[in-house]
Amino acid sequence: MAKTAQAKQYKLKKNRNLSSVVKRSIPGWLIILPSLALFVFIVWRPIAIGIRYSFFSLRGFEPVEFVGLKNFKDVLTDTNFIQTLQNTLQYVLWSMIIGFPLPFVCAVMMNEMVHMKGYFKITTYLPVVVPAIATSLIWKMVYMDGPGGLLNMVLYYFGVEPMQWLSNKNIAILLIIISTTWNGFGGTLILYLGALQGVNQELYEAARLDGAGFFGRICHVMIPHMRGMLLLMAIRQIIGIFNITEQPLAMTGGGPSGASMSLGLTNYFYAFKYGQYEKSLALGVIVFCILAILTYVYFKLDKRVNE
Amino acid sequence: MAEKTARKKNTRFSDKTDGLLNYSELKTPKFKLLYWTMFLGLFIVSLICLLPVLWIAVSGFKEVDEMYAVPPTLLPQTWNFGRVCAVIAKVDLVKYLKNSIILIVGCWACDIIINGLAGYVLSRLKPAGTAFLETLIFWSMLLSGMSMVPLYMSFVDVPLLHINLTGSYVPIWLMAGSNAFNILLFRNFFNGIPMEYLEAARIDGCTNLGIFSQIIIPLSKPIIMVVTIFSIIGTWGNFFWPYLMLGNTEKEPISVMLYRLSSGSSNLMDNEYMLLMMLSVIPMIIIYAIFSKRIIGGLDMSGLKG
Repeated sequence: MAKTAQAKQYKLKKNRNLSSVVKRSIPGWLIILPSLALFVFIVWRPIAIGIRYSFFSLRGFEPVEFVGLKNFKDVLTDTNFIQTLQNTLQYVLWSMIIGFPLPFVCAVMMNEMVHMKGYFKITTYLPVVVPAIATSLIWKMVYMDGPGGLLNMVLYYFGVEPMQWLSNKNIAILLIIISTTWNGFGGTLILYLGALQGVNQELYEAARLDGAGFFGRICHVMIPHMRGMLLLMAIRQIIGIFNITEQPLAMTGGGPSGASMSLGLTNYFYAFKYGQYEKSLALGVIVFCILAILTYVYFKLDKRVNE
Repeated sequence: MAEKTARKKNTRFSDKTDGLLNYSELKTPKFKLLYWTMFLGLFIVSLICLLPVLWIAVSGFKEVDEMYAVPPTLLPQTWNFGRVCAVIAKVDLVKYLKNSIILIVGCWACDIIINGLAGYVLSRLKPAGTAFLETLIFWSMLLSGMSMVPLYMSFVDVPLLHINLTGSYVPIWLMAGSNAFNILLFRNFFNGIPMEYLEAARIDGCTNLGIFSQIIIPLSKPIIMVVTIFSIIGTWGNFFWPYLMLGNTEKEPISVMLYRLSSGSSNLMDNEYMLLMMLSVIPMIIIYAIFSKRIIGGLDMSGLKG
């Protein structure tokens, strides 16, 4: 008898707690509601719809019939799919080789500078304010074939004949990555520079006393301090480049003969050039899965780094 | 006068207080060489950063046959500034500028109000379910804009309302209002406001609304400033969705117009097109020139957690 009364009382208390929590939370929920609604509308609902519709055949934007994995099969067996996937990996690879070390190396050097440090900071960040689309179009001009392009002009002064750039299918991807690196590395550089200031100066001093040279200090003091951040930036960059669409669209249109086609651009072409929405949806889901895994790794790392 | 020259020469190795190399090491020739090699490296990098932009600016003033001349000329033979006005008139740049400004103002308002309030809720109000909300928003950060067609479908036929938003600015504004990165930026900033301020105001009988308008907003000026600058720069260059939503309409912003003129047939000569590109970059460079300290500081502020 006493037990049930106690339980009743406990339940009452819990309810009161619950209702007070709800009451306290209502203003917060109301204020964050617009933001939440937008996230559902712009991020989460499209992802859910994309996954669902990718199993259907469509008429216009309306699903007509469940077709199972047919759309995925169509995408994966497309003659260009393997090449496009390879290209995309090539984009990622080049950006890891060029775009990833450059801001770090520059940040390390800039951190040592006594002369013109402010000038370097400002000039390396300048390309970041140039819009991505303008960057692509400007660099398209830089790479212009014939004597009118900047690169060929510079080569002229070294006595080299004009060369083919973006129309050379072996280097088109590399050239696109150089332009995106130009556009973006200043932002990462500033972040690294901030983190480098956080290295404990006494550790450098200690390493110096132990006889560590310049590179010894980098390997044993600086890199361990920066390792977490470097990893995060690497993954962030992989995710960003994996999705590359705008730059090849503006610079090469995927050419020459599909040599700079990326998965993102294929997706765009399926949807807005060929009107094959089913294929676009299926490809979107495939890319989404790959990136979701990478994102998961990113947050796991982020947590560990921040701890 | 002597004081002035002294100040001008205040960059000396003895000023160096931190970093990999210290002052005494820099006195040895080996490290001096290393230092100046690094300096040269940075100098080349900074040159590469400037060169394409300068080249576009200069080339726009060349005549077409001069642009392609062998040997190339370094500077144009004549500076025909009248051509700038001619290009502006030819492409009706004012109209596109107006479109870009409408886009920027709308995106800015959505960005500050919606993301700012969300950041405030996550940082200060912390309603039940905050942890869940944060996870949701963090994940959105890297996944947003990933599903092209479904999002396009949602704009063609908005769920519940069943209206078509293509050809209007609204989709781009709404996308600016769901910027997870800025929510984090705001949240981190609000986290840094000392709780004592708010406690003190509460003891003085301030209401929640009063605290927000009289304490939070004035203290938030730096973050609002930073987000404003990033929002302007970001929206000015925003290309992909404006292209899908507004391409080939009367509402095209400058970024989309630039791409259309480069890919399709246009009646612009190459040098005129270069002038146009230069004109599209200049406003951002001016903003950068004015606010560079704040922009670079703002990046530091966002830190790693962004």
